[in-house]
Amino acid sequence: MNKKLIALLICVGLIFVSSIVIVVVRETQPAGQMVEIIQDGTTLYTFDMGKAKNQTIRIDAPDGGYNIITIQDGTIFMSEADCPDQICVHTGVLRSENVPIVCLPHKVIIHFVDGEGIA
Amino acid sequence: MSTKKLTELALLTAVALIIFVIELRIPNLVPIAGVKLGLANIITVYAVFRYKPNETAMVVTARLLLGAMFSGTIVSLLYSVSGAFLCLVGMLSLRNIIPKNWIWLCSITGAIFHNIGQILMALVLMKTTAVLASLPILMISGCIAGAFTGLCAQLLLNRLERRNSTQNQNHEI
Repeated sequence: MNKKLIALLICVGLIFVSSIVIVVVRETQPAGQMVEIIQDGTTLYTFDMGKAKNQTIRIDAPDGGYNIITIQDGTIFMSEADCPDQICVHTGVLRSENVPIVCLPHKVIIHFVDGEGIA
Repeated sequence: MSTKKLTELALLTAVALIIFVIELRIPNLVPIAGVKLGLANIITVYAVFRYKPNETAMVVTARLLLGAMFSGTIVSLLYSVSGAFLCLVGMLSLRNIIPKNWIWLCSITGAIFHNIGQILMALVLMKTTAVLASLPILMISGCIAGAFTGLCAQLLLNRLERRNSTQNQNHEI
């Protein structure tokens, strides 16, 4: 075993451990109340989940696809999408800052943001 | 390139594609964009250690293009290309450092590079830094999945080498 291998081993170990630390730290912090819906780099909507009314939002992608986002009783989730993988729909309700709802094919992201600067 | 080499590479591509298509049928345990087992990478890791860099690149390119056609998501081709390219560059440059019985480590670094490539592409396509939030999760899942595929590749390589050596002995007899 040479030095380069040990260095590589340490690097990989550090990445792994630091990732776990980041995830755990973010998970223990209370999630923000402000939710942002971003499509293709532009913020379409911001909601305060504590106040938002129950509603559905349809977002059309430039290539003809669509995503339907539902807000219900202070939770937000992707209820329908016409992409083939359906990852965004299966992600379910937006719960933590760690796991944004992402639709890769239609470039839509729903995520929590810090309340400062928006309200 | 000899016909034998061409056939071997074609066979590897076919096996990688079959694994890829079967993996599409396995439901995702964690519904986070980008988290995947990446079983087809077993073949990539194997090829990195058995064949020349350009031959490995050919296998990977063919697998990516055909895989995108089979899965029907051409958009995701952009993500997989950037991921696979970075992964390949990383693994090829590490090939000389890593001894043959440490393949799992090579596979893990490959997975890390793959996820970084995907996130970079997502940054470019989505034009928002919000995608960076999922990087740590991808790193963790990449390490676990990379270790798994690496171990598979290790078993594969050991078996094939044992088989090759016994075949050679038979020839000598």
